[in-house]
Amino acid sequence: MSHGSGFVPRRFVLGQFATADSLLDGTTKMREKGHRQIDTHTPYPIHGLEKALGLGRPKIPFIVLMGALTGACLAYAMMYYMNVVDFPINIANRPIHSPILNIPITFELTVLMGGTSAFFGVLALSGFPQPYHPLFEADSFRRASIDGFFCSVEVPEGQEVAAVLEDMRAVGSTEAQIVEESER
Amino acid sequence: MSGAKSMAHAAGPVSRDPLEPALMIEGNQTDATLNDSLFDYIWKLPSDGWKKLFGLALAGFGLLIIGITVTLYKGIGAWGNNIPVGWAFDIINFVWWIGIGHAGTLISAILLLFQQKWRTSINRFAEAMTLFAVMCALLFPLIHTGRPWFAAYWLMPYPSVQGIWPQFKSPLVWDVFAVSTYFTISLLFWFLGLVPDLASLRDSSKSKTAQFVYGMFALGWRGSGRHWAEYKWAYLLLAGLSTPLVLSVHTIVSFDFAVSVLPGWHTTIFPPYFVAGAVFSGFAMVVTWMIPAREALGLKHVLTMKHLENMCKVMLATGLMVTYGYIMEHFIAWYSGNDYEFSIFFRTRQRGPYAPIYWLMIFCNCVTPNIFWFKKARSNLAIIWIASILVNVGMWCERFIIIVTSLHRDFLPSKWEMYYPTWVDWTIFAGTVGMFSTLFLLFLKFVPAVAATEVKELRHEMEHDAHEHQAGAAVAGGSH
Repeated sequence: MSHGSGFVPRRFVLGQFATADSLLDGTTKMREKGHRQIDTHTPYPIHGLEKALGLGRPKIPFIVLMGALTGACLAYAMMYYMNVVDFPINIANRPIHSPILNIPITFELTVLMGGTSAFFGVLALSGFPQPYHPLFEADSFRRASIDGFFCSVEVPEGQEVAAVLEDMRAVGSTEAQIVEESER
Repeated sequence: MSGAKSMAHAAGPVSRDPLEPALMIEGNQTDATLNDSLFDYIWKLPSDGWKKLFGLALAGFGLLIIGITVTLYKGIGAWGNNIPVGWAFDIINFVWWIGIGHAGTLISAILLLFQQKWRTSINRFAEAMTLFAVMCALLFPLIHTGRPWFAAYWLMPYPSVQGIWPQFKSPLVWDVFAVSTYFTISLLFWFLGLVPDLASLRDSSKSKTAQFVYGMFALGWRGSGRHWAEYKWAYLLLAGLSTPLVLSVHTIVSFDFAVSVLPGWHTTIFPPYFVAGAVFSGFAMVVTWMIPAREALGLKHVLTMKHLENMCKVMLATGLMVTYGYIMEHFIAWYSGNDYEFSIFFRTRQRGPYAPIYWLMIFCNCVTPNIFWFKKARSNLAIIWIASILVNVGMWCERFIIIVTSLHRDFLPSKWEMYYPTWVDWTIFAGTVGMFSTLFLLFLKFVPAVAATEVKELRHEMEHDAHEHQAGAAVAGGSH
């Protein structure tokens, strides 16, 4: 398909599966057939999806750990600088630097930075917000967030779509179709 | 219970353990029927009952505007606060609201970590309540500064022309960090849980506008397995972070009191006792709203009697903890041999001018929850509802007693002074109830009040377990 604007649509093969188990099975088989850009679309997380998709360890825990540590260091450094270095106030000769009294705010900022990095980490890793995705072109894809189990394979430029569609049919999908990005 | 029976019949002659509790999802449901029934009310026009309640809530919100306007115009003098009772309605209401918020985090985070599956259909509801309650709570410390537009300047550590920083050794500054962190994390946790549901709403919407609006908030969620893999961890870690956070927030709130030297405040039992009280009042508020809401929104199949019964049990448990706290406070006041402590607990509170409020508190917090020892009470909606309201009243009285009685008669009788709230105090308090109700009713109308995605996942898991149970039973039967 040629477009005057030089727009090359992304192409996907989308297969629907009857149950979660058949989706897991089909996804594993698609991966074994050598397809790389596979994804599944389900209304809720299904046990075993990571394995079927061949995903590595999730990145979020490390991101959250880093966020939390940053929060802790930042909080302590802030309090130390403000109350000890920049403007020490002597109150009834109590120690200017008291680690115990710095615990609450250090803890709160640890949680704050850890929590925000969990949230924004997911957004960043998923590429959100991204209101449009070529898969939304398929009408039946609406069910992916309601009660449908889908497997999608992105077909790279230059590769034949028909063969991928054939594979998708062979691994047990009840319905398989080609989805193309539309030019906006 | 009848739903549970019918489900057992439908699933075939599986011998159910008699000790197995009633089901959390009633009837024969599929993902599609759950999707339809849980979102049904969102697509309908608001009912008359909703409109009436919303009008009432908006009127309450109006009171808040009036109260705040008068406060800003006249200053804090419009309130009944005086010296020695420098902290009164503002701090009572602040602590009361923030405590109410705690049930949401407890349900959504702590029960998630303990894998209490019954939390699934009530967590969204309770988390929203947390958000709105914390908003109401935040309002009080802001307006009690008298000049809220300076509040950031006083509270936040930013380099101002004064060249002075907040004093980080003060629990009041800890409070700023604790409450603002709590609000932020609760909001993110709530929204993260909401994203898949917003995607379901986008995909089941029939109008373009709804599809666009829900689609924008859904951020483009497409249930991707790669996204779920990270999402699950983020959700779990947020729960993990929220759990100590919720305990820390009310602990720090209690430090505002416990770190002082005032008799009645200066006790080490305050942190755990405040947290227990917070959960107690929060669950009561969830129940107060849930009973009418499940009826009005047609959500009885996922907000079952089992949920209500479990919540009654939590109220009973936390109510007993609060009672223990009261007993301990009194015991230590006597055992310490400190005259001032003894006087505040055994004279001022029990026989002083505010004694009726003290005894109302004892009745509401120590006597009322004990009705939930009885199964009959735990399964009677009217009793649960009235008891939950009494608990809310009782917990408000508790904060009144802690704050006002301790302040109005401390060490020197020459300093003693009575405190009477003015109409502005009452207006602002009623106004926050109005604001809370307004926000909550809007939430109930436009946002899925039940986490549909999680209920579907729970249904999927239960189905899976049932299959395995059946297979296991068949194997066991074969070997006999």
